[in-house]
Amino acid sequence: MSDLRLFSKALLGIYLLFAVIALSTSALCIHTVDQELSREYQSNSEQIAKVIADASVDVLLNRDLSVLQSLVDQYLSIRSIKYIYIADENGEVIVHTFVPQVPAEIVATDRRTTASTHRSLTGIGSVIEVVSPILQGRAGTVHLGMDAGLIGLKIQSAVGREIYLISVLFIGSILLTLLLIGTAARPLHRLLSYQRQLAGEDDGFGLTPAEVTRLLERRDLAGDLARLAQRSPSPPQTNRADPL
Amino acid sequence: MFVPALVEETCCAVIFTTVGPLTGRPVTAVFVIDDSGGTLPNARNCRYGAMLWGLLVSAMPLAANATALAADPATPDREPIRIGMSAAFQGPSRQVGIELYRGIATYFSEVNRRGGIQGRPLQLIAYNDSYQPDRAVDNALRLLGSDKVLLLLGFTGTEPVTRVLPLLKKYDSDHGLMFFPFTGGAAVREAPYDGLVFNLRPSYRQETEALVGELVAHGHQRIAVFYQSDSFGRSGWGGVRKALTDRHLQLVGEATYARGTMYTGSLDRQVAILQSAKPDAIICIATYAASAAFIRDARRADLNVPITTVSFASLDSVVSLLRQIGAEDQRDYLQQLLFSSVVPDPKTSALPAVKEYRALMNQAAALPPTALLDANYQPSGYNRTSLEGFLDAKLLVAMLNRLGKNLTRASLAAAVVGMKDLDIGLQHPLSFQGRNQASDEVYFDAVNSNEVAGTSAVNEAKK
Repeated sequence: MSDLRLFSKALLGIYLLFAVIALSTSALCIHTVDQELSREYQSNSEQIAKVIADASVDVLLNRDLSVLQSLVDQYLSIRSIKYIYIADENGEVIVHTFVPQVPAEIVATDRRTTASTHRSLTGIGSVIEVVSPILQGRAGTVHLGMDAGLIGLKIQSAVGREIYLISVLFIGSILLTLLLIGTAARPLHRLLSYQRQLAGEDDGFGLTPAEVTRLLERRDLAGDLARLAQRSPSPPQTNRADPL
Repeated sequence: MFVPALVEETCCAVIFTTVGPLTGRPVTAVFVIDDSGGTLPNARNCRYGAMLWGLLVSAMPLAANATALAADPATPDREPIRIGMSAAFQGPSRQVGIELYRGIATYFSEVNRRGGIQGRPLQLIAYNDSYQPDRAVDNALRLLGSDKVLLLLGFTGTEPVTRVLPLLKKYDSDHGLMFFPFTGGAAVREAPYDGLVFNLRPSYRQETEALVGELVAHGHQRIAVFYQSDSFGRSGWGGVRKALTDRHLQLVGEATYARGTMYTGSLDRQVAILQSAKPDAIICIATYAASAAFIRDARRADLNVPITTVSFASLDSVVSLLRQIGAEDQRDYLQQLLFSSVVPDPKTSALPAVKEYRALMNQAAALPPTALLDANYQPSGYNRTSLEGFLDAKLLVAMLNRLGKNLTRASLAAAVVGMKDLDIGLQHPLSFQGRNQASDEVYFDAVNSNEVAGTSAVNEAKK
């Protein structure tokens, strides 16, 4: 424990550095994943909406709505797509995939708009709705709701993996630090024992002559201090012999 | 006499029926081949059993009259006429597939007993698709491909059939045709598939038009619709909407349910949605299980307005379920129900085709093989679905008989358009002149607490 106290400031610094690294990389990761995934999802969803819109023209003008329904149903197997609906040129929903009904939030909006919107729908959750016009909007619009929660889940997953990695590194670093501190503190312990021997105290860890020799031969701070202690006059002692 | 082809190891039922060469009596066998990769322990045995049986039957006339057979130049023609079917034999809509199969197979057995078509027996190859579109497509591919069927018959459900249609186009050069799908969907009645699909029953648009007309005639103007969230539901929804628009009315409410909903599931949310719209009548575009569940939950919620269904919700199945739950709940769920059907009353109709149906169902009603048949399934008595299958088979046989010996996909495709005056014992002879739908008859069945009151009104829907 005394060793840790010796290096407490250094340790605190290391912990703070780790915290800064973990927080900054997580924030950067969240931002990057969020941006990239959102862009990717939106781009894919817009493409799908456009494909449906292009395919819908002929069906809408020449065939039964059930064919259109069958067409949009097939896209629901894509995990990120929560719903699809097609509104006619008057904004009336003529095909949709909602069960048990078209949400009130959608009923209340202007369905002829072609701008993408972020919605929070009861029973469905957070979605980003992209819109693609059919025949430049003259035949209607295709609306596709992609699961914004899924993006959040991906972010959580990516950040979780990063935090796991950082935690493993952090724990490993602590263990390594303790090892290094122990290694660095060992000559100091010997120096302390040596000085106590010089002072005629017995701390129970008395050094052997060979250990004292190795200590005095060290070319570091511990060696310098040991040699200095050897040259320093000993305090007056009675009834105790110099071990050397 | 024929040797059955070795078909792929897949969930398949094959009926072999022929006239016994020694006794002159009909001999029928059904063999099943499994599609679950060996979950049926006897699948392989069945397959070889089918081969063995075929060889046995083939060998019998050889022994009895080898000279005649050897000299018979028409022997190759006696190969079976393979007919391919895909339907829901399992799952929430199993009753439709099973009963349709029973009707078709019963009539095919009778035809085979009489010597088949130009001496060739009919062979029905049926697969289960559990009302799943992707499985229906797989089945159609197998039937038109490796099974080399002459035609597809009795495919079930708007969504599965709609998904199979592009496949017919793909097989256009090979003349892959579909006959009498169990759907009133518009997709099978209009371009670009109108030359590839031939229907017996009227469309959902005709049924909903007739239903709306009937309701409005009885003073109902606040009509809501409960429908399946897929192309079947959309087809019916579109029909109801159009019929109302034509009468300057609008839907007052709508609620959907997911395909595959079981009778045991709750439809309380849908009931609440429609209840809040205060309708004075509701039209269900739903399977029999969902229709029965909706009626049950609506009545429990005191939504006591008239409820009607289209033909896909087999009247007999709905009534059976409601009667069962009614007995448990000590409640009458059969009030204010109106069903539209596309066939006459199977129990009471005096039409020759229906009489023949009753006679043959009494004699030897066929059952799907055990691999296709749910273990808990109890076959119904006379019912509209098996009658429709029976009429499908009867009309098909009448058409094939007109083709003579030249029974190929190409000759069928060339001859079927324009066929007329096909009398199968219904009210009127049937025709395919200038259209791909033979019948426009929509029947209404009212139900009371004791029994199905019978077809009380017959409307010829708007063509």
